[in-house]
Amino acid sequence: MMPNSKTTSQTIGIVLSTVPRYSETFFRNKIKGLQENGFDVVLFVDYVEEGDLDFPCTVIASANYNSSRLKSLSNITKALFKSIFSHPKTSIRFLRLERKDGLSLKNSLRNTIVNEFLLRKKIDWLHFGFGMLSSNRENIAQAIAAQMAVSFRGFDLYLSPLKHKGCYQRLFLKEVKYHVLSHEMKTDLKAQGIQSENIIVIPPAINVDFFQSDGNVKKEASIQLVTVARLHWKKGLEYTLEAIRLLKDSNIDFHYTIIGEGSEYERLQFATHQLNVQDHVTFTGKLPQTEVKKYLESSHIYLQYSIQEGFCNSVLEAQAMGLLCIVSNAEGLSENVLDQKTGWVVPKRQPELLAQKVQEVIRLNPQEKRAIKEVAIKRVREEFNLEQQNEAFFKFYNR
Amino acid sequence: MGHRLKVAIFSGVIPSSTFIERLINGLALSDDIEVQMFGMLQSKTQYGKQIKVFGYRNNKWSKLILLLKYTVLLTLFKRKAKNKLDQLLKSENRLTLLNRLKFYPVLWHQPHIFHLQWAKGLKDWIWVRDFDMKLVLSLRGTQINQSPVADKELANDYKSLFPHVDAFHSVSKDIAEQAQKYAAKKENIKVIYSGIEPMTLQKSQKKESNVLKIISVGRPHWVKGYTYALDACKLLKDKSFNFEYTIIGASKNIELAYQIQDLGLQDCVKLFDTMPFEKVQQAICNSDLFLLPSLNEGLANVVLESMMHKTLVLTTDCGGMSEVVSESINGFIVPIRDSKAMSEKILEISILSEAERKKLTENAFTTVREQHNTKQMINGMLQLYKELHDAK
Repeated sequence: MMPNSKTTSQTIGIVLSTVPRYSETFFRNKIKGLQENGFDVVLFVDYVEEGDLDFPCTVIASANYNSSRLKSLSNITKALFKSIFSHPKTSIRFLRLERKDGLSLKNSLRNTIVNEFLLRKKIDWLHFGFGMLSSNRENIAQAIAAQMAVSFRGFDLYLSPLKHKGCYQRLFLKEVKYHVLSHEMKTDLKAQGIQSENIIVIPPAINVDFFQSDGNVKKEASIQLVTVARLHWKKGLEYTLEAIRLLKDSNIDFHYTIIGEGSEYERLQFATHQLNVQDHVTFTGKLPQTEVKKYLESSHIYLQYSIQEGFCNSVLEAQAMGLLCIVSNAEGLSENVLDQKTGWVVPKRQPELLAQKVQEVIRLNPQEKRAIKEVAIKRVREEFNLEQQNEAFFKFYNR
Repeated sequence: MGHRLKVAIFSGVIPSSTFIERLINGLALSDDIEVQMFGMLQSKTQYGKQIKVFGYRNNKWSKLILLLKYTVLLTLFKRKAKNKLDQLLKSENRLTLLNRLKFYPVLWHQPHIFHLQWAKGLKDWIWVRDFDMKLVLSLRGTQINQSPVADKELANDYKSLFPHVDAFHSVSKDIAEQAQKYAAKKENIKVIYSGIEPMTLQKSQKKESNVLKIISVGRPHWVKGYTYALDACKLLKDKSFNFEYTIIGASKNIELAYQIQDLGLQDCVKLFDTMPFEKVQQAICNSDLFLLPSLNEGLANVVLESMMHKTLVLTTDCGGMSEVVSESINGFIVPIRDSKAMSEKILEISILSEAERKKLTENAFTTVREQHNTKQMINGMLQLYKELHDAK
């Protein structure tokens, strides 16, 4: 039962880089869900592209400070003007807080100007969609007298700090409510000194009505393995291809399809040739959701042998479609798939273990396979549906 | 020969990378050769008389002056040739200002040999053959044995263009074989090994007891196989083996940084930024073992340098590496993509006696001195140019 929407009229400001594209279902669903629950939503983005302003909520974009010198100067002047005349109190409060944090006057002023678009609006919550987006904006919420929330999604918690040392140093000292995707992420965030009660785990959700097999598609005779992932190193596809080579050596009749595109295409193609598995592997590139569904429908086993993973929607979708899922133990994956119950979890970076597990799963009898599938489908439908997620976010802002 | 042979060495930029510069300076020592250089000037150069530079700086004025100069010269004195080239470029829809800037100086000076250093530029430069210049292409690593694997269009370009190249210079026998997959004629390929300058450095005396110092040098590209080296480090650490692994040139790479943290290797693996050549050489010299975990190479110069500095070498069996390193004779070889084999070999190396190490490194030194000296490289190239020119 959804909480009574009439009791709430809070405004949630969500900060993202861009307006969520059609494929970015998480934010689209979340915003829709919040609106259905009676929240007003304002979206703050770095820039807008054509058509973005049709997005079904208020969108406020930052001015461009990196274009030609003249244009930037004009934007700086405008922002300064607005800061002084439109919302002087919040601007001064923000500037003071920045100075209190030990920033130089120059940097404090710079942050006041580039964040002018965030200081404009009166809102109840300021929610940063990714950890890195809160950088140099740690004091905005306090300046506009809003509560602050930050979502960590995996890459931003585990990888960004390796590139930008100390990037969350200021953030972790502020009063913030955190949203993470898995209990593993919560544990890791707690290790940074964050209080447990300030970290809320809300796993991703999928459209379980769309991702369900109608059971009419005939599966191929040979074993079909599939992965849906960006071609990024963190997805562990090179290790997966090594396991594929081992499977080939054990004379199993199979084919492996990788759906997705990305920067590591050359690396993975090269590996495919060097490991001599080009006849067993297909790269389809990026496909629309309906096509992805067709591939899942005609496949038997889903692999997600990631090196780093916040939670992973694709694995939820594969489970919902009734595939046998074998995943690595990277961060949130072992909560996504429960080992031996809804699929199998294999230690990461060990292709021999992955190949062994695939063979074991292939050898299971039909009843054993069915049992795992049924539990997985049931669990995803019950625990990772959009209504569940909407309710969790409702509580997140009202707790 | 009654006149000097004019050879253009073209890499796109002036000066080029270290090994191409070594070739240029070596060639210039020969009295029979005039070396010509075309392309964009990146920094001030100090070449001798034998080397003629016809480059432009990366600014509008420099480009404009050069373009004007050669347009006028060609119009006045080589109008026919200019018209022919213009027609050709026009028919291929690439008669752009940039192409004219690049091509006119070459057409005007018309070297006997145009030696292109990178295969990807072949499509741009194949026209020189229609103007009485011989086209030589260097076959160097990545662009032959890696890029065309995923890039089918590039592979097709190679297949259609390689048969028209007059001669190929290959840095290893392996690359020579790879190139034949793209229709390069075997009889047109000459393997000439890179030469390295002798350099004597003092090894550091301070030897920390039983910590094996392992080093790798190179950009953090996936083809360098560092992820496999780090997985091997994890296996070594699990066996409580005492080592220190340094990668120079790989700092700021998130994939490697994450892997180090994920595998708990922070105390034994260090990533460093790129360093000046001399510093790198000293670091190699001060290490116990040079590790090349690559998935693919033409023939890695850093391995040659390590052998010259009498630092033991462990390489994967990739590209042309086995043409230099022979297992247990002057170094060690393990299969590619095999962290387990790599870690086991490192353990094996760590228990070598001082006498065994000395024998291996002396052999390595001899290999490099005999097979990879600058003299054999320059003589090989001179011979290739002269034969090609005389075959007219």
